[in-house]
Amino acid sequence: MGTLELDGVTKVFPDGDGEVVAVDDVDIEMRDGEFLVVVGPSGCGKSTTLRMVAGLETISSGEIRLAGQRVNDVKPQHRDIAMVFQSYALYPHMTVEGNMAFGLEESTELSDEEIETRVADAAETMGIAELLDRKPADLSGGQRQRVALGRAIVRDPEVFLMDEPLSNLDAKLRSEMRTELQRLQDELDVTTMYVTHDQTEAMTMGDRIAILNAGELQQVATPLECYHEPANRFVAGFIGDPSMNFFPVERDDETLVADVFDYPLSAPTLDDVGAVTDLTLGVRPEDIALAGDSSGEHTFSTVVEVVEPMGDENTVYLRFADAPEGETFIATVGGLQQVSAGDEITVEIPEETIHLFDGVSGEAVHNREIDE
Amino acid sequence: MTRNTDTGDDSGDAVTDGGVAEEGQRSGFSPVAALNERFGSDFVESSQFWLPPFLLVGLFVYGAIIWNLLISLTDFTGFGTPDYSDLDFQMYSRALADSGFVDAAINTFILLVGFTLVTLALGLGLAILIDRNIRFENTFRTIYLLPMSLSFVVTAQFWAWMFNFNNGVINIVITSLGLGRVDWIGNPDIVLWAVMFALMWQFAGYAMVVFLAGLRAIPNEHYEAAKVDGASTVRMYWRVIIPQLKGSTISASVVLMVFALKAFDFLYSLVGGYRPPNGADILATKMVREAYANLNWAYASAVAITLFVMTLGIVGPYLYYQYNRGNL
Amino acid sequence: MSNDARTDGGTVTEADPGASAGLLSGLDAYRVLLYLGLLGMLTFFLIPIESGLVTSFKTPSGVSGSLPFAPPTGGTFTFEKWRAAFDALGRGLINSALYAIPATVISALLGSFTAYGLTQSNWKQKYKAPVLALLVAGVFIPYQAVLVPLSQFWSMIPLQEWLGFLWALGINNDYASVIELIITHVAYGLPICTVLFRSYYKNMSEEMIEAARLDGASIRRIYRRIVLPLSGPMFAVVLIYQFTQIWNDLLFTLVLVQTESSAAAPIVLILAGLGTSLEGQDFALRMAGAFIAALPTLAVYIAFGEEFAEGVAT
Repeated sequence: MGTLELDGVTKVFPDGDGEVVAVDDVDIEMRDGEFLVVVGPSGCGKSTTLRMVAGLETISSGEIRLAGQRVNDVKPQHRDIAMVFQSYALYPHMTVEGNMAFGLEESTELSDEEIETRVADAAETMGIAELLDRKPADLSGGQRQRVALGRAIVRDPEVFLMDEPLSNLDAKLRSEMRTELQRLQDELDVTTMYVTHDQTEAMTMGDRIAILNAGELQQVATPLECYHEPANRFVAGFIGDPSMNFFPVERDDETLVADVFDYPLSAPTLDDVGAVTDLTLGVRPEDIALAGDSSGEHTFSTVVEVVEPMGDENTVYLRFADAPEGETFIATVGGLQQVSAGDEITVEIPEETIHLFDGVSGEAVHNREIDE
Repeated sequence: MTRNTDTGDDSGDAVTDGGVAEEGQRSGFSPVAALNERFGSDFVESSQFWLPPFLLVGLFVYGAIIWNLLISLTDFTGFGTPDYSDLDFQMYSRALADSGFVDAAINTFILLVGFTLVTLALGLGLAILIDRNIRFENTFRTIYLLPMSLSFVVTAQFWAWMFNFNNGVINIVITSLGLGRVDWIGNPDIVLWAVMFALMWQFAGYAMVVFLAGLRAIPNEHYEAAKVDGASTVRMYWRVIIPQLKGSTISASVVLMVFALKAFDFLYSLVGGYRPPNGADILATKMVREAYANLNWAYASAVAITLFVMTLGIVGPYLYYQYNRGNL
Repeated sequence: MSNDARTDGGTVTEADPGASAGLLSGLDAYRVLLYLGLLGMLTFFLIPIESGLVTSFKTPSGVSGSLPFAPPTGGTFTFEKWRAAFDALGRGLINSALYAIPATVISALLGSFTAYGLTQSNWKQKYKAPVLALLVAGVFIPYQAVLVPLSQFWSMIPLQEWLGFLWALGINNDYASVIELIITHVAYGLPICTVLFRSYYKNMSEEMIEAARLDGASIRRIYRRIVLPLSGPMFAVVLIYQFTQIWNDLLFTLVLVQTESSAAAPIVLILAGLGTSLEGQDFALRMAGAFIAALPTLAVYIAFGEEFAEGVAT
């Protein structure tokens, strides 16, 4: 079946006299029918990884296995893979029907009638049955997107690859297609590798997320694991919007000491930290709570610098009372809470919500507690 | 991909080994795979498209040039076949001692530089005129470019008549201005400039098209910025626009120089024979005349190599420049 | 080889200061000068052609006795020169078409193949670059540098024997030179055809080609089903450019056909010697001949001026 395994996959591009490592020793195992979203900032190697799976880039070292078979040297046309491209890459001189039939004509021995039936079925599934006679130039962006998807599903391939397929759509259409894609995935149950830079897509669509940075795999886990139990500081900062606040701190015995605040730790947290002293304290904006008084161990007095009202909530840029102006961190508070620039307020950073990262390697040493 | 589905389930090691072995068999012993490994995955499959034409060009262009070089080292004349057993540079020393050759080389150089410069200048002027938001732009452009579609043989007929001593248009115009008639073709001091003028007429439209493309690739903002800065139209072109036409100028110059080197057809047709008018002999005409009128094959080959080296001197740097900019 | 080719009818001129001023103040001096310049250049480019045209209709006394650009009047008007020119050149028209058309089609097709194999296939740039460089350099080769070997080569090929069956059919064996001309023009036209097609294929969507690969198409099938059907516009450009070049070329005809007395003599070869004799030059005849020889390329140019411009600008 459609399992897909990447085993130490590396891609090295020549660059002038030297070399650039675009993808560095990536291991991913996808089970049959899994929807994996590969996400990362631009240039992180996610598209290159996808293109290696497709066979459009050679693999410098490592191995890719499709259904248990090594495919490193198998040409793209023989990999039984369908790919949806960012630009849709439709054939402009063919009708929608021609576009969808092309792959079946080239890769199978099906008769014309069978091809016609399968194209009609796939068009039905995608809701483009009435467009079959049109050329791509006569279609809207959303329709082209559907044709591109239809062209992929009609092939009934082992694996779907999608390279930022929604990035050319406007915001409304994009969320519509996101739902549509999830429906399709449930229905077809085909192993899918989906590349995007959009973390909303990553969080909402994937069974699991693979996060890449600078060619290195940071973490492969479910969306919620990535959010609540990030493997390292990069993942913690990349997933979540607004992103996690980070404070460089030194551990002095049982207390974290920063320039402008001290943060005492309890015994269980200290166990996690062990002997490390150079740390980064991370806390998500929504975990910072307004406190009634400054009596708690983890309450701090702050000054509000900027408030961005979003309606349902406010994004508040806060500054520790002793910190210089401009050195802010972010908290999100309920939309009905009245906060305005210049206010002095007391906030609490509850200990059960904090993340601690090794200040040098960035590895997570302690993640927040999760209610079971 | 659905075959052998049972191998991939248990241990990764087993699969790795199996996979490698299988690929080893498939690629290790096949010359196709070895070539693809060396040159890239589509090398062999794509060669059916590019290799036969490439070999044809290789044979007819590069094979012929090397052969030509060999012939230039022999003493091959008259009928028969060249004798390759005794190679020397005698033909080249003969060329240097031949005042006809030296004159032709000088004429070639003058024609090359003069023709290219005047044609570029006129072409740039035309491009700017056309680019001034005029009406009937297409008509003007089509007519300016029209001579380019004509054969050298045809334009030579027109200009032989234009330059006619008694009743050619040029002399009619000149006499109407109160000047005396000029023997454009017959006077060895003038004929080269007359030829240059006719060639300019034929190719200025080409330079115009290239410059026009260059002008239109310049963003609007540059015109606007210059305007806002208070530059006059002339200064705007001189300081802002023309410096950005470097690429167009280089491309056009190279192509024009190559056309000038090929001016053989024009000169041959002007007189209907191998011997161009006195004072207008260039290496291209000299080479063909030595070969096909005088049957001095080896000598003609030596002249040809000289011409080739001149071309290389112009085109080589250009290709290198394009190569470095990734335009190849 | 400028990469940006033509940008059709660009909008650059919106920013044109003269234009906006011109619209406001009507026909100012600047616009008048501009159009005078344009018309002056128009005259410059047309006068040799116009003068040739009127002269071709003149009797000898008309040629020597009237202004060269004045139309023929009454007694000095004659079709005689056109008739004579057509008699001399008519066979040349057919001979030229015999090699120019096949050579044009073949070189365009092969150029398209070559450009495709060197652009849309995956092999290492390091090795592709020299192949491309050699092909591109071929555009600029002065043909003089290959003429002597070319003559030698064709004299060594026993084309006359191989085509014996044709001569048996009663075809004049001078026509062997038509085959030589086709192959020669294809070989030397290939580089420019390749360069033109390559500039077109480089701009073709790479993702579309990749999509076709993943759809299971081989390199040959991708060409046949995707690239070739989409190459129409470039074929128009290349066919027109190549036809003009091959039809107009004198040098190869001179070397391979050699003499205008050959039954297979192309039109340019006959025209080059037309109207020049010991008694002097018959300009009316030369002009009429020039127009007959130019007619096919002129017709192509007038019908497809845009494509021609694109061909030369690339």
